[in-house]
Amino acid sequence: MIDIRNVTKLYGPKVAVQDLTLHVPAGELFAFLGPNGAGKTTTIKMLCGLLFPTTGSVSVGGFDVRAQGDHARALVSYVPDQPFLYEKLTGREFLQFTADLYAMPPARAGAKIEEVIELFHLDEFVDDLTECYSHGMRQRTVFAAALVHEPKLLIADEPTVGLDPKSIRELKTLLRKLAGEGVTIFLSTHTLDIAQELADRIGILDRGRLLGCGTMTDLRKQANRDGNLEDLFMQITEEAAVEAAPATV
Amino acid sequence: MGAERPAVADQGALFRRLRWRMFRNGLRVALQNGRVRLFTMLGTSAFVAAFTFAVSLYLFNELAANKIPFKGAIVEALFDLLFFTLGTMLIFSTGIILYASLFTSPEARFLLCSPARADHIFATKFQAAVAFSSWGFVILGVPIFVGYGLISGVPWYFYALLPLYLLGYVLLPGSVSAAGCLLLVRYMPRNRRQFFLLVGLAVTAGTLFWGYRIAVSFKNSVATNGRELEDLIGQFALLRSGAAPSHWMTRGVMAAARGDLAGALVPLAQVWSNGLLLFLVAAWVAKRVYRTAYDRLSAFGRAKKVYGTSPLDRLMGSLVWYLDRRTRVLVIKDFRTFRRDPTQWVVLALFGGLMLFGASNFRQYYAADLGIMDKHAISLTNLSGTAILLCAGLSRFVFPLISLEGRKFWILGLTPVSRDQILRGKFAFAATGSLLISEGLILVSDALLVVPWQGLLLHAVTVAVIALGLSALNVGLGAYLPNFRETDPSKIVVGFGGTVNMVVGLAFLVAVIGTMVVPFHVAQLAKGATGGAAHVNPWVYAGVPVGLVIGVLAVVLPLRAGAKSLRDMEF
Repeated sequence: MIDIRNVTKLYGPKVAVQDLTLHVPAGELFAFLGPNGAGKTTTIKMLCGLLFPTTGSVSVGGFDVRAQGDHARALVSYVPDQPFLYEKLTGREFLQFTADLYAMPPARAGAKIEEVIELFHLDEFVDDLTECYSHGMRQRTVFAAALVHEPKLLIADEPTVGLDPKSIRELKTLLRKLAGEGVTIFLSTHTLDIAQELADRIGILDRGRLLGCGTMTDLRKQANRDGNLEDLFMQITEEAAVEAAPATV
Repeated sequence: MGAERPAVADQGALFRRLRWRMFRNGLRVALQNGRVRLFTMLGTSAFVAAFTFAVSLYLFNELAANKIPFKGAIVEALFDLLFFTLGTMLIFSTGIILYASLFTSPEARFLLCSPARADHIFATKFQAAVAFSSWGFVILGVPIFVGYGLISGVPWYFYALLPLYLLGYVLLPGSVSAAGCLLLVRYMPRNRRQFFLLVGLAVTAGTLFWGYRIAVSFKNSVATNGRELEDLIGQFALLRSGAAPSHWMTRGVMAAARGDLAGALVPLAQVWSNGLLLFLVAAWVAKRVYRTAYDRLSAFGRAKKVYGTSPLDRLMGSLVWYLDRRTRVLVIKDFRTFRRDPTQWVVLALFGGLMLFGASNFRQYYAADLGIMDKHAISLTNLSGTAILLCAGLSRFVFPLISLEGRKFWILGLTPVSRDQILRGKFAFAATGSLLISEGLILVSDALLVVPWQGLLLHAVTVAVIALGLSALNVGLGAYLPNFRETDPSKIVVGFGGTVNMVVGLAFLVAVIGTMVVPFHVAQLAKGATGGAAHVNPWVYAGVPVGLVIGVLAVVLPLRAGAKSLRDMEF
């Protein structure tokens, strides 16, 4: 579903992503980890077609994001860390707008809207203007909108921020269920236990470079130690920092 | 994989529905929860329109009643200038609003990640930007032409065609501005600082040169009692050529006024066809470059720059020495934000430079025996210009200060600084800057014009009252009518609170200038007209205490209301 080949992205003189190659098959739940400024959000923005690689190529569902962007984006849903909603629309109107934007047949859209309203427990406030929503309500509405058009790829940047424990639990169950149904999930998070619990594979990015990528077993093998994801993450990123240090002197 | 192509929505209809729903819901909320605000905004707009209408009616009536020669040509030249000025303003305002909504808004990011087509995103943002930036055009433009129509006894279709002309005309500068904005972002050289410096220098040099030519022609015209008026009008030849859209508008409006329907419809078709064509060009440009421009803007990055303290910060701190240390820190914070954003001070610098340039020119003409009347007229114009600039500058930069603190107000709220101190700090910041700039401009330009000491003193006092009053109005009303939802200061300024603030500020200027300095200058002009025989009555200074009282009220009342509102506010 995701095919990133030799992608480098420069912000002026700064290298945000360096020679990144990554393949994520359909139905996989992939977690993307890394410290602040590692290049995770830049990679996500390139997957969504918001930014383009300086070199290399990104394709989603077989469509090149640059050359066939409209088709690629039709397969993708992106839930950013700061959710956007039109303040002067109700939650239901926003869901309808999203369904229409993705050209869903009206009957299917109607049924799906009711389904996501129930799934994310939006019924109490879905007919209020979104300007009255709390952060958690906004996050749930954005998630509902992201799923209403039945995407093939769901990209979520820090999806659990602002959600209460019950909603987090439900979200984790939902993500696993979606992956089981063939939806590819690309998750960027700092919450390591969520990545360890949910992900099929985990990618660790630091200073724009992919330091490690694989299952927990693969990562343990790479780090040459046992332990949880936090231990492995710390060891892999620290080793990379030590390797990089002489080069910057 | 990926062979199956997704369905495509009718995005034009979709975005129309979106706009309609947002308008309907917004109106419903305004009618339910903010009826007073809505009607005040409508009332304020109606007041501005009525005032413009009354002034236009009076001036057109004077023109007709006094049988001034070439009045048709004068009106035509005035309309040319009006359309050109409004068109230029629309280019800048639409460009700025479009830049913010296409490249920095969360909505743009949301839509760019969706299958929405770039040209549809552009079209929807374009319509919003043009509507936002041209409401002033309608409120100011329509009353002027209705006034002209009533005095000139025009046929009915003059009024019917008027909205069509104005609506068509906004497409032209709006489209040029939109295409320019997109192309600029897409193809801007990597070295932005040098690029903008060069463009700024070129524009300034061009403006100065044109200003100089107009000033020379004006001088000749005045010196020859209008015999060389043609030369002055000739300086605006570019605006009056057949290729200038502003002139199409003038030709059409004037033809409609004369009752020449065919002559009115041809320029109307010219305006609309060119406007729509340019819109299509802009939409095509958007389709081609919007996404890459967005990417390029994000990829510019920022050169690493170390920001430190500056002697200017220390100077600002010492200018507000009378404040306690904590409030001084807040003032320096606001000043630092101001000086690090060139868009905040470059217009002030440009206007100041032009005004001093003009004053120094008139000084030379004065030496060449221009009358004392001109000196008084010019110094009064300078004072009014400075006051209006101050009003616009403070409305743009000081009024939104409290609103912009909005979502991060808790940071200030948790500091050991009271909300009254925050407000006092903002007032001290605005008043100090305004006083320095306006007094500097007025005193230097009056000195260049060799204005008598009574006039100089009067101007200094008046400008001080204006600077303090406007600062308090902007800070006080900014706290009383904040808009915490909006993050774009230009939208805060043109919103409800900003409009009320602007109108109150202008009314304050009219009141202060009208009572404090106009009687003095009118008396001096009368004295000049009678060859110095008329006695200047000391009563010309009677308005000074009235102006001072108005100034005190303008400082005390808004600050008190703003402080109370800020104290009661919950974040």
